[in-house]
Amino acid sequence: MIYLDNAATTRPDPEAFDRAQAYCSDHFYNPSARYGGGFAVASAVGEARENLLAKIADPGKFELIFTSGGTESDNQAVFSCARRGNAVTTAGEHAAVERPFSALKNRGVEPRFAPLNRDGSVNAEALLSLVDEKTSLVSVIHVNNETGAVNEIADLAKRVKRKNPRCVFHSDGVQAFGKIPFRLTSEIDLYSVSAHKIGGLKGTGALIKRKELTLSPYLYGGGQESGLRSGTENVFGLLDFAYAAEKKFAALERDAARIRLLREAFWASLDQKIFMRISPENGSPYILTASASGTRGEVLSRMLWDRGVVVGTGSACSSKHRFSRVIAACGYPENVLDGVLRISFSPQTTEQEAEKAAALMNEAAREFKEKL
Amino acid sequence: MEKVVIIRYAEIHLKGKNRGYFERVFAVNLEKSLKGIRHELHRTSGRWLVEKFEETRAEEIAERISKVFGVHSYSVGYLVGSSLEEIYAGAALIAPREGTFKVETHRAYKKYPLTSMELSAQIGGRLLHEFPALAVDVHRPQNTVYIDVRENGTALVFGSFEEGAGGMPVGTSGRGLLLISGGIDSPVAGYMMAKRGMTVELLHFHSYPYTNEGAKEKVVALAKILSQYSLVTELCTIRVTKIQEEIHAKCAAELNVTLLRRFMFRIAERFASENGLQCLITGESLGQVASQTIEGMTSSNAVVTLPVLRPLVGFDKDEIILRSKKIGAYDTSILPFEDCCTVFLPEHPAIKPKLAYIEEEESKLDVDALVEEALGTAERITF
Repeated sequence: MIYLDNAATTRPDPEAFDRAQAYCSDHFYNPSARYGGGFAVASAVGEARENLLAKIADPGKFELIFTSGGTESDNQAVFSCARRGNAVTTAGEHAAVERPFSALKNRGVEPRFAPLNRDGSVNAEALLSLVDEKTSLVSVIHVNNETGAVNEIADLAKRVKRKNPRCVFHSDGVQAFGKIPFRLTSEIDLYSVSAHKIGGLKGTGALIKRKELTLSPYLYGGGQESGLRSGTENVFGLLDFAYAAEKKFAALERDAARIRLLREAFWASLDQKIFMRISPENGSPYILTASASGTRGEVLSRMLWDRGVVVGTGSACSSKHRFSRVIAACGYPENVLDGVLRISFSPQTTEQEAEKAAALMNEAAREFKEKL
Repeated sequence: MEKVVIIRYAEIHLKGKNRGYFERVFAVNLEKSLKGIRHELHRTSGRWLVEKFEETRAEEIAERISKVFGVHSYSVGYLVGSSLEEIYAGAALIAPREGTFKVETHRAYKKYPLTSMELSAQIGGRLLHEFPALAVDVHRPQNTVYIDVRENGTALVFGSFEEGAGGMPVGTSGRGLLLISGGIDSPVAGYMMAKRGMTVELLHFHSYPYTNEGAKEKVVALAKILSQYSLVTELCTIRVTKIQEEIHAKCAAELNVTLLRRFMFRIAERFASENGLQCLITGESLGQVASQTIEGMTSSNAVVTLPVLRPLVGFDKDEIILRSKKIGAYDTSILPFEDCCTVFLPEHPAIKPKLAYIEEEESKLDVDALVEEALGTAERITF
């Protein structure tokens, strides 16, 4: 099986998994316990927190709260910070931001969605024009999970803050963390990350926040995570996350450079008479979204599954929710939206696999086209 | 004193000399529906008693019994000794604590020392004494305590008659093949035929990779819901991808659905005859969609000789939805998994296709080979 759906989830890193296993056996204690075993686990959790945070931010200015994943981090950010006036985001957000924003209406906050450019990045001018003195939150996805387009969030945050210094700036960094070189700047207040996109496990993530920002907790209870996220820590998951991240960050630039070349070679091998490229060249190297116009991405993905290639899709066969909301917002016509496939790589992807997968994609798409 | 479920049956008593057969099938069905719950099932005069189960499972047993066809009504109550003391002990558990009530007694054992009226009065009087917030109203009581004195020195005490599923025991009216999709209608059609005692076997057509596993899982989920009534725990799936592709490639687009349905009927008939099934059952309702016109039905019927039963043919969608909700299938039926890919949906399907035109278009296909190939894809799923 050639696995090219790494933007959906990645194969858990076996080394990180092995290292973390001791916390499911010998060191199983509750980190809140006030005896030796508990303190030892708490100290391991603290170390994991520091290591993860140091990968992306200045530990003097930021802190990290462990959560159950990207969705929880995004929800925490939106509902904590969008409390009045209006809140601005993009039409290219993951559902974990888009749905909470849509729900803001019922809480008396006006959600505003900025339009996208053709590649899936946000139209920066349009976004800024939606920000005013009543804006309480701005949230911009860092790497678009459907096209791989990168939003320059450091620059956007700076411009947003210039317009309204009091509003909070959040970014969903799930597809960026550990994949593209980046460090948080002081204008970014909140940043969501997830473990299972970089070799960690599902059910673990974090919200990184600027220290001075006050959040209201989402879950109350035993006061873990500085009272911001109660609940006994998912010790195994978060240690595994830290170990996986350590490896990922150590090779980040080298991997990104290799995968960028691999992606371009992959694209060059696809039959350009059938496939149309949606992902920008300067986006995340790990994502290549293309459309075999007129086919159905979902059907193609199953034809590929049967051929031993796993890819993601941006469309469905069903008449309801047929098209990807995000790709539709990039302004493509229906026949393009129908045939969208998302190929997403990991550092484990080899050139041979990529070559074989591209050939099989051509074969499946041709077969499908012939039947139409 | 023991908690029991009392089951009374519906039309079985009408069946004259066949009554023994009907009753045997009914008992087997009751046992099937109670599979996995420890119990004993005993027949007494004109009813069945479920006994010797854990008291905490009484509700679950009642719920399952409520879905067995042939059950006219059922009650959860107590089996007690026939002494006044024991009957009262049961009645005190059943009786309401406030409001109006009456006691109604039936004696199969006519030599019981008290008449029905006397027994009702005795029990009622003691209940009034015990629970001061109660009042008797023999005409329009809010609650009734029923006492049934039996001939073997026992009595049944219960508080209500719950309506059963009615109909006839499944298995007493032949065997049919339901063409089940993932929609709202076909499970209801299956339910209705099972209600009249038919054993309803299930056949589902899919067109992987144009449809997905989610759609198949949805059909299995629907089949499971239906099996609570029909007691059939197997589903057969057949892949018609090749047929759909061939039709799409060679025939007029407006006949897409009409032609596919003819193939489905042919395959279903072959499957039915190989499995000893006597008819086809569909969830079609006249005029509901383009293929469910009288012309559409005629065109499908023309390729089979088995009778095609369409129990929903005269129902409005609303009526079907109501029944679907009643049998607990609706929420599953509306899950968003399509059983047909939009690739193959014509923009303007033919509403009143002429048979000659259909046959002409169909002649472009190797019908027998396609049917044969599809039959080869049959997969049985047991649940």
